[in-house]
Amino acid sequence: MAMFQGGYAGRFLYVDLTNGSLQVKPLERDFALKYVGGRGFSARILYDGLRPGADPLSPENLIVFAAGPLSGTPLPSASRLVVAAKSPMTGGIGDASSGGYFAPEMKYAGFDAISVTGRSPKPVYLWIDDGKAQLRPAAHLWGKRIHATSVALKAEIGDEDIHICAIGPGGENLVRYACIVTDEEGVGARTGMGAVMGSKNLKAVVVRGSQDVRIADPDRFQEVIDAYRKTLEGEAWTETLRRLGTPNLVAHRQKLGIWGARNFQQATIAEWERISGEAFRESYLVKAMGCMGCMVRCRRYSALPDGPAETLYMKGPEYETINALGAKPYIIDPAFILQAHYLCDEYGIDEHGAASAISMAMELYERGILKKGDTDGEELVFGNGEAFLRLIDKIVYRKGFGDLLAEGTRVMGRRLHAEPYAIHIKGQEVDASDPRSLVTRALTFGVATRGSCHLRGFPYIDEFIKPEEGLKYFGTAAVSDTKALEGKGKLVAWSEDWITIANLMGLCIFAWYRSRTFSMLIHRGLDLVREAYTAATGLSMTGENLLRCGERAYNLEKLFNLREGMGRESDYPPARFFDEPMPDGPGKGAHLDRADYEVLLNDYYRARGWDPATGRPTPEKLKELELATS
Amino acid sequence: MAKQRVGYFEDRQDPEAQCSRCRMCELICAFYHHRVGNPRRARIRVVALGKGADIPVSCLNCEDAPCMTVCPTGALQRKEADGMVLVNEDVCIGCSMCVSVCPAGAVTLDPVDGTASKCDLCGGEPRCVAYCPAKVLRLTDADLISRKRMRTYARSLVHTEEGKPGEDRK
Repeated sequence: MAMFQGGYAGRFLYVDLTNGSLQVKPLERDFALKYVGGRGFSARILYDGLRPGADPLSPENLIVFAAGPLSGTPLPSASRLVVAAKSPMTGGIGDASSGGYFAPEMKYAGFDAISVTGRSPKPVYLWIDDGKAQLRPAAHLWGKRIHATSVALKAEIGDEDIHICAIGPGGENLVRYACIVTDEEGVGARTGMGAVMGSKNLKAVVVRGSQDVRIADPDRFQEVIDAYRKTLEGEAWTETLRRLGTPNLVAHRQKLGIWGARNFQQATIAEWERISGEAFRESYLVKAMGCMGCMVRCRRYSALPDGPAETLYMKGPEYETINALGAKPYIIDPAFILQAHYLCDEYGIDEHGAASAISMAMELYERGILKKGDTDGEELVFGNGEAFLRLIDKIVYRKGFGDLLAEGTRVMGRRLHAEPYAIHIKGQEVDASDPRSLVTRALTFGVATRGSCHLRGFPYIDEFIKPEEGLKYFGTAAVSDTKALEGKGKLVAWSEDWITIANLMGLCIFAWYRSRTFSMLIHRGLDLVREAYTAATGLSMTGENLLRCGERAYNLEKLFNLREGMGRESDYPPARFFDEPMPDGPGKGAHLDRADYEVLLNDYYRARGWDPATGRPTPEKLKELELATS
Repeated sequence: MAKQRVGYFEDRQDPEAQCSRCRMCELICAFYHHRVGNPRRARIRVVALGKGADIPVSCLNCEDAPCMTVCPTGALQRKEADGMVLVNEDVCIGCSMCVSVCPAGAVTLDPVDGTASKCDLCGGEPRCVAYCPAKVLRLTDADLISRKRMRTYARSLVHTEEGKPGEDRK
């Protein structure tokens, strides 16, 4: 009899690439109730499976592909895959998330998670077809870019309807910020997961399945689907996302003056309308696209003329594409942004990784710290798009100056004695926005377990929560004042636990964990998700339990980082945000205050039940979360 | 009454009025018929052709249905109401001859129970039509498809302003 009435496939696949072994193990019910799925599974597997100090690019590292209990169900937007490993960027917990179709197909192929260790003596790909797994030779695929890899795999397997998680030459060449790419479209961009796959000689994971994802209570599940649909009516955020995609945020960044342009030396972009959501829609958008079961459809599909007779088609751009490839190197040109984006996705490198490295080099060049002799003769000033494109190539193939750039800003900072110009947290580049004028964001980026991340928590709550809601949920009305420090530690902690639920379940944050009213955040993200989980799996789950599961996964990630020697000192934004006031725009003059940040961080640690000096979860907290760590 | 089927109506001028490949049609179809998540049990499938072309395909409700003609057991019979050919799973032997002869590839063998699987219009209110977020699926007949196409062609002969997005979908 099946372990679960529905939701879960009930099986994990363990792969050892060194000896080629493949083992299927059952998912135990208690494990499922405690860790739920996605980042919960990967945190536990990584914590248990790795010893501290392991080299992330060695055979010792584990890479976990994790779906959630809702992946593969008909619930809208249950499309997200988590790929996690020890990060070559930070040395701590790393994970990347991708939308599309891979995680659902993993479930149809019969698996909740796949854990891969070791290193294959020769390049291989992992092929999982309706419950059966095998390792197949990939020497003929090694060196291929993402599209060519996909074409070759589909031809070899003889089926277009397969789903692929692959690396490009970036991952093969161990570019530190190499990424994974699903189905030529969705990128699991951050923390260098592509480099981990490359270090294992693992070119791709390919899945195909026709097994049912069962639903324990289909009538109730149907009600949740319909209740969710109803929440989308008149939801301004999702309507904007459908119309413009995430590039709608360009206008917002300009309005608040929080760009990290020119390597975080400029907060406004005068010509911002050239690279706005409207601009991309007007000139390049083919159509809105949706991940599995999504009613929002925020993905963009764009066409860029490439010479007189050719057109490049691509998924994107996202806001982060524009931020990375436009704002950071200050190349305010939509055609350039799409060209560079196309290359990064084809090569399989994170745009923020590449752009941060090149932008940092641009700043160093403009300051005279780097000379032409260092940059392979490039006049490496901000705005030099041609140099940027040449350097992408050199990064991917580790040629000349590209070899250093491929290591990322933290290593560049150390090697060039230029640490003040490396804008990262724990070794991962700052993306999203400049938090100097919005302190809650600064805290969120600073404490995120995977390095600088704007998606680990949901700091924007303080921009719309009502004072009475603040009092009810966070003990103080001050939480609704974006400038106040009071209550923000608790707010960030709660938002992290809450958003982690999405990453446990396999749900898309933009479809489920975004709104302009706090009551909708609770309704969708807690109430409806809890209903969906119970209706799918037959397992009972309260809203409180869900938050505890989020908290548990988050604490386990923190323990992982602490075990790697990442203590309180790693939870700080970079020095530039403290020492240099914002130079322009509505936030001109703003900077983080060190004393204030100490107050915030202490508040956050206290709210989390962590030791205020070290950030270590206390024995009481671990007991409360039932986290056995020894 | 004209033969009904689920038709795909896109407007290439409107980025939001084209199939987005969200595959909600597949998910809700399989869920309605089998109460599970499994797009390979859906009777409508989105074919991804690349370069922004994604086309949902389901039974065309042929007047002279080859699936019915070729079936060796009589498992395929027309429904009175909308003329849709239905599968009698008790009689179907899963030989897949119907699969081979369907001009649209719209008949499959269900991967779980092995019998022929095809669109049945959900008894009159197709779920894919109701749940498609882009609203590009419609319960339609060949006459309406023809008239829409004719309108697009006719407009192309006339030198006036371009039609508003969504014109062809009304």
